[in-house]
Amino acid sequence: MKNFDIIVIGAGHAGCEAALAAARLGCSTLLLATNLDTVAFLACNPSIGGTAKGQIVKEIDALGGEMAINADKSLLQMRMLNRGKGPAVYSPRAQVDKNVYHVCMKQTIENTPNLYLRQGEAVKIDVTPKGEFTVTTAVDLQYVCKAVVLCCGVYLSSKTIVGQCVKDSGPNGFANAQYLSQSLKDLGFTVRRFKTGTPARVRMKSIDLSKTVEQHGEEDVLPFSYLTDSIPATKRSCYLTYSTQKTKEIILENKHFAPIYNGSINGVGPRYCPSIEDKIVRFADKERHQIFLEPEAEDTCEFYVQGASSSMPAAIQEQIYHSIEGLENVEIMRDAYAIEYDCIDATELTAALMSKKIPGMFFAGQINGTSGYEEAGGQGIVAGINAERFVRGKEPFILRRDNSYIGVLIDDITTKETNEPYRMMTSRAEYRLVLRQDNADLRLTEIGRQIGLVTDERYARYTEKKAEIEKAEKDLKKVVSPKIYGDLFTQNGEVVTKAGLTVDEMLRRPNINAKDLQSLGFFTDISDEALYEIEVECKYRGYIQKEKEAIAQADKLESKPLPDDIDYTSIEGLRIEARQKLNKIRPQNLGQAGRISGVSPADVQILIVYLAQRGLK
Amino acid sequence: MNTTIVALSTARGRSAIAVVRMSGDKAIDIAKKFFSPFPDKPNYLKVGTLKTPRFDEHAMCVFFAAPHSYTGENTVEFHCHGGSAVCQAVIEQCIANGAVPAQNGEFSKRAFINGKQNLTNAEGIIEMIDAETASAAKAGANLLENKLGKKVVEMQNVLLDLISSCEAALDYPEEDLELPTVETVGNRLINLADKLSVLISTAALGKVAKYGIDVAIVGKPNVGKSSLLNALLGADRAIVSSIQGTTRDTLTESVNYRDIKFNFVDTAGIRDTNDVIEQEGVKRAQKAADTADVVLHVTDDPTDRSVYPTIRPQIRIYNKCDLYDSSPCCTDSIIVSAKSGDVEIIKSALYEMFSAGEIENSDLLITNERHLSCLKTAKRQLAEAAQSCKSATLDIVTSSLRQAWETLGEITGSAAREDIIDRIYSKFCLGK
Repeated sequence: MKNFDIIVIGAGHAGCEAALAAARLGCSTLLLATNLDTVAFLACNPSIGGTAKGQIVKEIDALGGEMAINADKSLLQMRMLNRGKGPAVYSPRAQVDKNVYHVCMKQTIENTPNLYLRQGEAVKIDVTPKGEFTVTTAVDLQYVCKAVVLCCGVYLSSKTIVGQCVKDSGPNGFANAQYLSQSLKDLGFTVRRFKTGTPARVRMKSIDLSKTVEQHGEEDVLPFSYLTDSIPATKRSCYLTYSTQKTKEIILENKHFAPIYNGSINGVGPRYCPSIEDKIVRFADKERHQIFLEPEAEDTCEFYVQGASSSMPAAIQEQIYHSIEGLENVEIMRDAYAIEYDCIDATELTAALMSKKIPGMFFAGQINGTSGYEEAGGQGIVAGINAERFVRGKEPFILRRDNSYIGVLIDDITTKETNEPYRMMTSRAEYRLVLRQDNADLRLTEIGRQIGLVTDERYARYTEKKAEIEKAEKDLKKVVSPKIYGDLFTQNGEVVTKAGLTVDEMLRRPNINAKDLQSLGFFTDISDEALYEIEVECKYRGYIQKEKEAIAQADKLESKPLPDDIDYTSIEGLRIEARQKLNKIRPQNLGQAGRISGVSPADVQILIVYLAQRGLK
Repeated sequence: MNTTIVALSTARGRSAIAVVRMSGDKAIDIAKKFFSPFPDKPNYLKVGTLKTPRFDEHAMCVFFAAPHSYTGENTVEFHCHGGSAVCQAVIEQCIANGAVPAQNGEFSKRAFINGKQNLTNAEGIIEMIDAETASAAKAGANLLENKLGKKVVEMQNVLLDLISSCEAALDYPEEDLELPTVETVGNRLINLADKLSVLISTAALGKVAKYGIDVAIVGKPNVGKSSLLNALLGADRAIVSSIQGTTRDTLTESVNYRDIKFNFVDTAGIRDTNDVIEQEGVKRAQKAADTADVVLHVTDDPTDRSVYPTIRPQIRIYNKCDLYDSSPCCTDSIIVSAKSGDVEIIKSALYEMFSAGEIENSDLLITNERHLSCLKTAKRQLAEAAQSCKSATLDIVTSSLRQAWETLGEITGSAAREDIIDRIYSKFCLGK
């Protein structure tokens, strides 16, 4: 029997971040995976980032996590989505090499002190009388730890479904974890069943690329990590094509074979990730659907068919894919499949991602009912940090809705009962103008430093950027005469006034950007990143200020804790539904209480008065 | 920075004095805009003039600097004359300068949030909130049935459609959706803002329906104001005599006419006098005129063409017409004999003047201050959204739309973030 401070079960995107964080903070950490070839395996898209997700990757980086660095190492191409729609929603998205991604992450883990990577299927968790945990593996080895982090992804009692063929299996034919779910039920956790799916992988050489639109990466995008200097030139392209009328006909003719329509799938699937059959049935009047062909890796000709996940029988899948423009003769290499799996109800967790019932048990990633690598990674680093803090008796580390997307994500899943896999979206964040992809370092590096995950090199880069910004802010106050700015304004179609303008006023003009002002001798010796901060903060100041006011307003409720021992059923005046919900979710503060569905503003008022009364006694 | 709230802190209805209280970061700044001289130090009551668009109120003002106040925030209190019209005007003035109407129990709520533990009467407050919750629930249910609820939900729906289109565009940049451009959003906003304006414009009539019409009866001594009041009431309420200056104080009485309440105020006759009490009466008469919805300027001289000095609308009443040799020549005046008791013509004229007949026919009137304030705020936010369509990016436009949608949600009690996400997925085919 071996002893560790922390055991992380599962080495996917959540598990890797959790294990790295714990080990880097000095805890002896065991990372268990059913199969070491699944470490940081990209089971679905060969892609990292996207709307809201790109922001999360940058936040993980700012805190001192690994996902951004690893994605930068394995980049095939990168793009900035939502250009032209405003800085609040700019989102970096990359195609990555899934093989390199796996190898790089595995190497990082292998080279991290205090971290032990071990193949083994966890089958049982026992709580010892001392409040420690014993983890037993399928080969009957036992490990003891002070805190355990469960990052089991979609492997718990999972089943893959291709038409009538239903297999006890994890993704991509990897073995699943057959026993751990029962152990969780025995410990009193609610176990739910969710579903997701993935499209086929096809052979690139069999695609008629002339019928598709090629998509290059963009060169003028910053890398994910603040530690990476630049991105490489596009290594591989993506291709855009469309489904056809024939696709529609094939699916409608064969609808009765589709497991989601004939009742053989029980899990709840996400609305945002519909299979091609689901899209066609639900949106019948849509002529055609976009299909993106994405490269899986540099050393393979396998392509991922984004937009066409399916759980139809393999023979029908082939017909469907052949009906897509350019794929008439495509050779399928791996079938599309749906996967059903067990997950827990994350409202049973605190904002530190720890079980409310069993202190020391942490959960992160798809086991919490979320979807997506980035969502998993974000939870992973938070759970890893908190496991360390639990072991050492420190206060929990909580990210907030007003400082990060990760904070929004964790607050949402631990507060609101969701009945489908949770995907992050920018529309879930109320303060998205403050939570930008470009300022994740400014929001979180200091926090990461205090926690102990931000290295000297990262911290130095951060302080340098901050100093540049502060220096440039001094320039904003300088007054410039029309003689100096006149030409620039005329060239850019701005009206020249008689009076002098401050640099700040000039920058707020819609047709003037910070680079233009550099030509007048302002903002010298500054990096592009710092210059961009100055520009956004200046041009959007009024709107940003409004969000900050809203944050301050909300903070008054957020900072009022609700003690753990409240019996909500006994509080007079609360509506029955509110009592039940509050007792179940046990919010940590008044702000969180107000976000529970079924708790009204009037209920929150009652809680306020109740707290005041308690304080008097 | 928090919002600044305002409410009447003393009981509604007629009273000698009333206290209007304002709390929040901007309370002092707001008060300084219309009260002068503003107290130069906290905790001292200062006499001064409170300016409103309708009249100047002689009032007292005190401020408490944060955190040394009940709420723990900057707080200003105005001690003014009692009576709904005065208080209403003071509150309106605070709102016009940036305050918002307080929710029930909000002062106490803030006191608690700001760490003031002096909620000694917490039980009482619970009861109050309880009562409010019960009636709010009932009101909420009524609201959903009634036309305001439906109208607001309709508007929220239009906004929700717009927002979900915008959000889908922002969250799914790679989908080939038919997405809103800032121009199309702008056009639909104008349409919505118009609908809001129509609703807001019903508030004037709503006020008539709810509070009635305040009518001041003014004029020189002995022209028959008190007789007119008695005739209007159909009761001997005011003392009538031939002695000038019989009416010294103002006297208010209400009477219903075709479902509308008229609140008539009889006043002292206006003249120069050395009698201190009568002087005060004359001052009060002026005040009654300035706070009224309409002034009846009474005269008994058929050649009188004078205008009563007030900014409020007025109707000239030629009283004692039974004594005239010839009819006064006029179009917008009313000729009556109070003594004969037949003064229906005045009531029906007032009724017409305020379009009170439309109350019955109109399907919806805004009668609640909070509703009105929400509608006005939503309208301003829509205007901001429309404005941002011209210059800003879609992220900003969408934020403004959300704010307007959430403000309308304060009326219907629902604007949950999930609604947007549900709408996105029901409307668009999205995802990999």
